[in-house]
Amino acid sequence: MNLRNHIPAAAVGIVLVVYATAFASSYDQRLLALSGVYVILVLGYQFIFGHAGALSLAQGAFFGAGAYATGILATRWGLGFLATFPLSIAFAALLAALVAAPVLRLRTHYFALATLALAQLLLLVAVNWEGFTGGANGLSGVPPISILGWQAPRGLPLVTAVWVVAGIAILLARQQMNPVRRAAFAVARDTPLAAPAFGIDAGLLRFRAFILSAGFGGAAGALFVHTNRVVSPETLGFGVMVTCLTMTVVGGRSRIAGALIGALLLTHMPEWLRGLESYYLVAMGALLLAMVLFAPDGLASLLPAPKSRSGPAVIPEPAVFAEAFAGPPATLDASGLHKSFGGIRALGDLSLTLASGEIAGVIGPNGAGKTTLANALTGIAPPDAGTVHFAGRAISGLAPHDIARAGLTRTFQTPQLPPALDVQAIVATARNHAGSQSEAPAVVDALAFCGLADMASVPAGTLPHGLRRRVEICRAIVSRPSVLVLDEPAAGLTPEEQAEIGTLCRALSDAGMAILLIDHNVGFLRPIADRLVCMAEGRILADGSPDTVLTDPAVRAAYFGMDA
Amino acid sequence: MIATQLLVNAAALGAAYALVAVGFVLVLNATTAVNFAHGESVVAGGFAAVALANLLPPDIAVPGLILLPGVLAVSALLGLAIGALAYLPIRNRPPVSVFVTTIAVGIIIANGLNAGFGAAPRSAPSLIGTGGFEFLGATISRQSLAIIATATLLIAGLAGLLQRTQLGRQFRACAQDPEMARALGIRLTRITLMAFALGTAFAGVAGLLLAHQFFVSASDGSVLILKAYIAVVIGGWGSLRGAAAGALLIAVFEVGIAAIASQPVAEGALYIAVLLVLFVRPQGLFGEPQQVRA
Repeated sequence: MNLRNHIPAAAVGIVLVVYATAFASSYDQRLLALSGVYVILVLGYQFIFGHAGALSLAQGAFFGAGAYATGILATRWGLGFLATFPLSIAFAALLAALVAAPVLRLRTHYFALATLALAQLLLLVAVNWEGFTGGANGLSGVPPISILGWQAPRGLPLVTAVWVVAGIAILLARQQMNPVRRAAFAVARDTPLAAPAFGIDAGLLRFRAFILSAGFGGAAGALFVHTNRVVSPETLGFGVMVTCLTMTVVGGRSRIAGALIGALLLTHMPEWLRGLESYYLVAMGALLLAMVLFAPDGLASLLPAPKSRSGPAVIPEPAVFAEAFAGPPATLDASGLHKSFGGIRALGDLSLTLASGEIAGVIGPNGAGKTTLANALTGIAPPDAGTVHFAGRAISGLAPHDIARAGLTRTFQTPQLPPALDVQAIVATARNHAGSQSEAPAVVDALAFCGLADMASVPAGTLPHGLRRRVEICRAIVSRPSVLVLDEPAAGLTPEEQAEIGTLCRALSDAGMAILLIDHNVGFLRPIADRLVCMAEGRILADGSPDTVLTDPAVRAAYFGMDA
Repeated sequence: MIATQLLVNAAALGAAYALVAVGFVLVLNATTAVNFAHGESVVAGGFAAVALANLLPPDIAVPGLILLPGVLAVSALLGLAIGALAYLPIRNRPPVSVFVTTIAVGIIIANGLNAGFGAAPRSAPSLIGTGGFEFLGATISRQSLAIIATATLLIAGLAGLLQRTQLGRQFRACAQDPEMARALGIRLTRITLMAFALGTAFAGVAGLLLAHQFFVSASDGSVLILKAYIAVVIGGWGSLRGAAAGALLIAVFEVGIAAIASQPVAEGALYIAVLLVLFVRPQGLFGEPQQVRA
């Protein structure tokens, strides 16, 4: 790790320490302590809102849950900080874990609704269960933070205690969001349909983000109560959620610097906007609106971007062999596949086998069920009936990311690439699940094999169409699959680019990979395919050598519109 | 009879909720985005009524009815502002951005009202006077009947507009496929802004209707948006008829449980019910599971 990268952060830290110890009044110190509390809250919210991309409206509720846990445990049972603090975090995380299963599979607007309903429910309980929570007045007399006899009264000791915890939270957030996982989150967030096809378990990522956000929220709530010495329903109110959301949007959704900037700025802003008095919150709303409209990535985006890798991509040895990317030889055997959408039959009793080292081209008119077949084989849209055996094991019914990890990967008709992520990071996400974190050599080799070595650090969104297709193929082979399903890999490419893709496929299949190649372009398929399969109306019309299939009268009628 | 009484109360509450929910769906269909400022728009309508009532001479028999056009106009203007500020500039960004901008607008409205009118709940004048009459042993208040009548007329009017007029067809076309509608020469921006104006006007009227009996305070928005949201989830995402039905169902549920237990219990039970619905059917009670194409 390069120490020079940390100079600005260290400088800011020193300025804050000097300000806190030498210049800050006791009121300023209170604001600093609150800032530290909000840093933790926002760091937590970044996991679910920034990285997972889900608008949770329960972050304020987790804050309140931690606050009430500390308040009740400390005042009713007289427990000390070393007990109440971990229990508060655990309570918030447990709450999240309890609702995670139903809540996390909801789509955007339903997810927001469910988390909001959850937050309102907790608020109702806190206000109405007077005997336990103190009702609308809350509970007062919460003791200061105390650790093994050392107490942190208001002022500098409290600021120190809060910021030590905030520091730990920052380290934890850094460790949780290493570059590879950051990239995996980006893939799952920006291209949710494609992520599982490259072995990314998006559900697990979301679960992790949700639990982390709740734990951080609980920790922040607990410290907030030690700062205020009372716990009241306000800690569960929508106001906390709004504050957290504003800080995250203003600072930045996914960078640690963003959490620091957002929390410090918005905690101190009321002081600077005192003249506005009761209209202060109106100004905060206006600021939130202006940020989304004019600087959607937050203030942290104005800072130089952190390096996503340790160094530039190494230009690899000239000879990288296809053998390096072909997994163990395996046969794919699908039988009796059925799939219907509403009343429309997309696949009807379809059976197909694919041997290792074989390229089977799939042709057929639009609506023949070609993409449905790819989706059914790879588990993206599991078949209604029928079985798929792969390497001697039934894979129909497995989650798509498990199918991908077993060695069956694919590409999509429209390249599914997160626009902001660079090529190397995207390819690395498909490799990471296969083993240890340091898979960089394999990733670089794959980039070189696909002719992308020069493009390693280019954001996918700026690539021309032909290169995007190659990134998709590169990502699909980097995990060494045994079977590769390509959905129209040559569509929209120039003849030269098509030839390159063809050469790539041929090399991979010669190395033992089985390839199912869906395309319309017979001119592209004919020279490279060992076999052609013609589909129509969800069935296989003909299956055999290219010459036999292309001269088959039924194929000519269905596909080329010629008389039999 | 207590049952009749409860039924009328539930119908009145449900009618007001239905206005909120229908307005919410109108914007939802035009933008495919959730307008989170919608709850605050209801509150703003209530306060508009409170403010405008000060301008009326004191001895009017039907004060609320006279205020109605004013509240409609103020709310429609508010809707235009919300659409122009919080939606149009970012319509090509992911829907979560619209969530955040409309939350921001909601904050501005709620805290602006709080600063201007204070935090204490306020009451708006009744629609056609107070009092009531005996019917089947129950006391039916004139306000309840007026709420039911107003909401029914407005929603029926909207249904007529959407089903029978060229403008309505344009609305529905934009809701189904905005790109295609635009390609066919429909002015998408204009239709979108009209949806905001109309939807927010409905919310504002609901605010006027609710603010007499239930009072209105600046912080009510988040509960109201939640109710509209829940109504839409129950009724099927994007369905106007479903939203109105969902709103009625919520009101019956709330009034019924509040009658045997208490208001907080009723509200809590509603949230738990919704979480359970989403648990069993993530696509909503009447929604079709959606197919997404890769």
